[in-house]
Amino acid sequence: MSIFQELQQAIIDGKAPVAKDLAQKGLKEGLKPGDFFPQAIIPAMDEVGRRMRECEYFIPEVLIAARAARTVTDILRPLLTGADAVKPVGVVVCGTVKGDLHDIGKNIVAMMLESAGFRIVDLGVDVSPEKIVQAVQEHNANLVAMSALLTTTMVNMKAVIDALNAAGLRQKVKVLVGGAPVTDNWAKSIGADGYGKDAPAAVALARQLAA
Amino acid sequence: MTSRVRIQLQPLGATFEVERGAPLQDPLFVHGVEFPCGGKGRCKGCRVRVLEGTLPVTPEDAKMLRSEELAAGWRLACQSRAQADLTLELAQWEVPILADESAFEFVPREGLGIAVDLGTTTLVAQLVDRATGHVLSVRSALNAQARYGADVMSRVEFAVAGNGQRRLEQLVRKQIGRMIAGLIAAAQADASRIREVVLVGNSVMHHLFCGIALEPLSHYPFVPAEAGLRAFRASELGWSIPGDPTVRFLPCLGGFVGSDILAGTLAAKLGESEELVALVDLGTNGEIVIGNRRRLLCASTAAGPAFEGARISMGMRASTGAITEVSTELGRVSCRVFGNVSPRGLCGSGLVDAVAAGLDLGLIHPTGRFNHGRQEWLLAPHVALTQNDIRELQLAKAAIAAGIRILLERWGASKADVTRLYLAGAFGNYINRSSALRIGLLDFPIEKVQPAGNTALLGAKIALFSLDGQEGSYAALAGRIQHVPLGADSHFQDVFVDEMGFPAPQPVPIGGNQS
Repeated sequence: MSIFQELQQAIIDGKAPVAKDLAQKGLKEGLKPGDFFPQAIIPAMDEVGRRMRECEYFIPEVLIAARAARTVTDILRPLLTGADAVKPVGVVVCGTVKGDLHDIGKNIVAMMLESAGFRIVDLGVDVSPEKIVQAVQEHNANLVAMSALLTTTMVNMKAVIDALNAAGLRQKVKVLVGGAPVTDNWAKSIGADGYGKDAPAAVALARQLAA
Repeated sequence: MTSRVRIQLQPLGATFEVERGAPLQDPLFVHGVEFPCGGKGRCKGCRVRVLEGTLPVTPEDAKMLRSEELAAGWRLACQSRAQADLTLELAQWEVPILADESAFEFVPREGLGIAVDLGTTTLVAQLVDRATGHVLSVRSALNAQARYGADVMSRVEFAVAGNGQRRLEQLVRKQIGRMIAGLIAAAQADASRIREVVLVGNSVMHHLFCGIALEPLSHYPFVPAEAGLRAFRASELGWSIPGDPTVRFLPCLGGFVGSDILAGTLAAKLGESEELVALVDLGTNGEIVIGNRRRLLCASTAAGPAFEGARISMGMRASTGAITEVSTELGRVSCRVFGNVSPRGLCGSGLVDAVAAGLDLGLIHPTGRFNHGRQEWLLAPHVALTQNDIRELQLAKAAIAAGIRILLERWGASKADVTRLYLAGAFGNYINRSSALRIGLLDFPIEKVQPAGNTALLGAKIALFSLDGQEGSYAALAGRIQHVPLGADSHFQDVFVDEMGFPAPQPVPIGGNQS
């Protein structure tokens, strides 16, 4: 098995220390930092997404795998500069909307998007529309991904879209929404560009919208 | 012949009129009767017994009910059309809504009192003789607000939208008023002797009953607008009781934790304990109190509706036809069903048992997934446990277990320091403690876990003897219980995820026969 294959397996199994060792070993053996994404991290997280969709993996397994992937991206990031720099697939501003503190789903989506090659600006939880607008401007983002877990807070997604409109940014960014009470119809009714019913769906949609 | 007929429901005591010949399904639904098969005459869940009047036997009745049942007056409500005035007994009210018959210490007082446990799902009220402490009558019902949402958050959502709050307030005030009239009638009591009515409930029920804006409870930081004790005259609530007694709703503790937990804490005497003890109410909102004589902490944790059978593929409340227990012996599964009917679904206690059994039998992996690519497990004919059901239970149990863990951390104690854990509420009364331990919901030795019944109602009754004018035990106790907002604890999410898995199987004792 190649190092990339072994690394894929370590990420899928959520073995962060093994993944870290393999990444360092691969770099020492001369593997190019830029090859890790297409050859190990992206396929590994795609497999994690598949297992999640098929109910084989649940939140803990997905989080553990995503953390293993993150240990690898943390090693690679400082190396991906200058000539080795990899252009991110897109820049995503993400957060849980105002009034809501649930961040597990948002974190999973953020980590999976990161593993899929996006640059993530994670604003955390209880995020006001103003903060999102500001971050979109500051980081020149092309995607906004927001989450709400309460029926009483998901109305704030609409407030974010209104704020993006008011700031003249709505045409510049695609808006992606998700969270337990959110539905496709709701997403349409507030004028979002897409609804991710789970993290893998959100990643697929983000790829599509960023293309 | 008039064109309308009058229907009376027992044991609810409710009366309504319908057009002669109109189907009974809709009006019965309004009164909380559930139609498990959707009113298609395919189950017996909605059956009613005719106590007065007559209901013709339909072909569906003849098919589904035995001749003895038909002779005893049982009919399927979903197929029935009333041709004359009727008094009906509802089979679903075999559902034991927990009342309270436990003895308690009191200083005798004059007159009568009424204690009400206003739950999100169920309501229980008792008329009490304050001279003897005896319960003279009991009334229970499903909360009439439930058709606008099963759990507190959906109730909040309905309340903050448009004029919802006023509607919910009026519904519950009217319903409790009817229950009080029922209590008086059942005991043939002299209503002018009623001196006091005490209500307890979570913060959302408190706000809805008292008419306090719910908006602050719809978002972080979930701080109730007004959490204090509220007092009314009965007449202000639209209740006509001679003497116009005082009606008090006991104070909330913070966040969603209300006076039902305050009352439970008093009833289970947590504040008098030398040792570290805990009170846990397992519901859509799990509530937890831990502490002792010196210090008490409380919290609520959103467990979701799995324990009540909602969002479970074949889930149902603990009513007729529900699998309430699942056990295994030598690898064989057996189910206990509520009521004398064939199994129709799985209620919370059955779900916990089923997953515990699945773990023991090696059908379910500690991560929660079915082993060997299985997608569901048929527990009984037509009742299966699915992969998604297990996931829902994992979320619910992780929320409770994480809440307990964080409160213990805040207290500076470990699980082993807890000498007793009281389980409040109906679900706590029926859950199998070994199964709760097996799935990691209550990771405490079963001898330490004690079902404590309806502690909220007991605490409300105690208040009937300790309130008027004086602060009684309540204000002092409420002041001693510190509310810990779990959502704002960044550590909570990590612990929550950490608690989602199930404990690994215990090693099989040497010589144990597992064939």
